[in-house]
Amino acid sequence: MSPRRSDSSLRCRASRSFFASVAVLRVGVAVACVAIAPVLRAQAESASEISREVKEVFTRSAKAVVKIRATDEHGKLSGTGFFIDPAGTIYTAFSVGADADNFTVEMDGKEVPARQVLADRRSGLAMLKVDDTTTPCLPIGRSDGLEVATPVLTVGFPLDLPQTPSFGMIAGFDRKLLGRYFSTTHLRVNLPTQRGEAGAPLLNFKGEVVGVLVSSVDNGSACYALPINAAEKIHSDFVRFGEARHGWVGINVAEAAAPLEGSRAEFTDIMPGTPAADSGAKRGDILLQVGNTPVREPEDVLDASFFITAGDRVPITVLRGSQKLIFEVEAGFHPAAQRPPIIASPLSPQAMPLGLDRTP
Amino acid sequence: MENFDDKDIATLLRLKRHEQPPPGYFDNFLHEFHRRQRAELLRQPVWRIALQRAQDYMFQLNVPALTSYPVAAAAILVCAAVLSLKVYQAPDAQTVATAVVQQPGAIAVSSPANAAWNLSSSPISARDIGSMPVRTSSDNMQTHRLATPPRYVLDSTPVSYEPASFRF
Repeated sequence: MSPRRSDSSLRCRASRSFFASVAVLRVGVAVACVAIAPVLRAQAESASEISREVKEVFTRSAKAVVKIRATDEHGKLSGTGFFIDPAGTIYTAFSVGADADNFTVEMDGKEVPARQVLADRRSGLAMLKVDDTTTPCLPIGRSDGLEVATPVLTVGFPLDLPQTPSFGMIAGFDRKLLGRYFSTTHLRVNLPTQRGEAGAPLLNFKGEVVGVLVSSVDNGSACYALPINAAEKIHSDFVRFGEARHGWVGINVAEAAAPLEGSRAEFTDIMPGTPAADSGAKRGDILLQVGNTPVREPEDVLDASFFITAGDRVPITVLRGSQKLIFEVEAGFHPAAQRPPIIASPLSPQAMPLGLDRTP
Repeated sequence: MENFDDKDIATLLRLKRHEQPPPGYFDNFLHEFHRRQRAELLRQPVWRIALQRAQDYMFQLNVPALTSYPVAAAAILVCAAVLSLKVYQAPDAQTVATAVVQQPGAIAVSSPANAAWNLSSSPISARDIGSMPVRTSSDNMQTHRLATPPRYVLDSTPVSYEPASFRF
C-alpha cells in the first residue's frame, strides 16, 4: 500500500467517527428534552396552581379585611383588621387598636365608626366593634395544626395603598426573640410585610384565619403572627368575663438534672400566698402536664400558663418519685397581665351572652 | 575713617559746635517729630504693625515665662479640633442658600446646566423641569399641612412580653 492511499483511508475513517459522535450527541439531547418536558410542564402547572389558589383565597377574604384609622397622642395612625363574626367584631394588633381613639373602619369605600372593646398587651391582640350586624367575616381555623413550610398568605393595607396580598410560609414557632420571651409561642412567617399591615389576618389555603399579624421581623422581610388559638382564648375570656383573664397558679419551674417521664421541668419554688401554696405541690416535683398541655421543657410552661384562665380550676399532673399525682388548683390572676384591662367602651350586660359577673 | 585721628575729630567737633540751625527750627520740632514717626509707622504693612503690637502686649504679660511645650501642644490641639469641627459639620448648603436668596418665597429647581454636573437620585424628568420656580413656599406649606400622612403601624417586635423566669 502506498503512503498516499493509507493517508486518505485514515482521514475517511476519522471523519466517519466524527459524524457518528455528532449524531449520538444529537439523539442524546433530543431524548433529554423529551424527558425534561413533562417535568417543566408540571412545574409550570404547579406554579399556576399555587397562584390560582392564592388569588382565590385573596378574592374570598378581601371583603372581610378592613383598613383601620385612629388617632393617638402622636397623631393619626393606620393599620389593618378583619371581621371575625357578622356582628362586626374586628381582630387587630394591639399596636393599632390599643392606645388610640376615634376609630374608623373603611368598608366598601365608606368610613364607619368603630369602638374599642378590648386591648390585651400580654397577647398583643385588640378587638374593635362596628355597629353593624351584617358584616362579612373570615372563618376561624386552628393554629395548632400548622407545620413549618405550611403555605400561608395575608391580606393587608400597606401604607396608603389598596388591599394587597402577600404569600409566604410558616418558618418557625418561636417563644423568644433576641433574649426576650413572648407570653406564648408566636408564628414566624417568611412573608414580606410593610408598615400599615399590623393586625392583618394570616390565612391558610382554605381561607381560614390561623394567626393575626403583630410585627415585622428584620425590616419587613418576615413577620410574627399571634396564633389564632391564642387570640381565640382572649376572645373566649372576653365573652365569658368581659376582659382578658390571664391566669397562673404561682409555681417557678427550672430545668431538672435529668428528664423523668420525658419532662425536664422541675418545681423550684411554690410561691407563698398564691393558689399553688396550699395545693399540695412540692419543690422537686416534675411537671408533666398543665390542663391539656403536656410539658417537656421549662419553656413549655409559657404556653401552658397562657391558656390558663383566672378563676378556672386547672388540673396539674406531676411526678413525685415514682408516683404520678394530679392536683386541681383554682388559678389566680397572672401578675404580668395588666389589670384592669383597657376597655374603652364596656359592653352592656346584654352583650355578654353568658351574663357572668365581670368582677373577679 | 582710618585717616581721622583723635585730633581731627576734635577739630571737627569744634567746627560743628559753632554751626546753628536756621531760625525757627526748634519752634515746631516736637510736632514735626511725631508726624514723621507716624508716617514711618504707616509705611509698614498692617500685619507687621499688628505683629509688633501683639509682641508688645505679650511681652508686657511676661509670655515667655508661660510658653512651654504643654501649652503649645494644647493650643495646637484646640485649633485642630475647631478646624475639624468646621470642616465636618458645615453643610454644603451654599447653593441652596443662594437660590433661596435669589428667589425669595420660591423653591427653585436647579438649572439643567448644573444638573449635568450633579449625581442625583431623582429621575431625569424631575431634574429637567427648568429653572423656573415650580411652587411657592406658601403653596408647599399648605400642601404639607393638609396631607400629613398617618403613621402606618407595624411594630418591629411583638408587644407580648414575659419575664425571663418560667412560672405559671
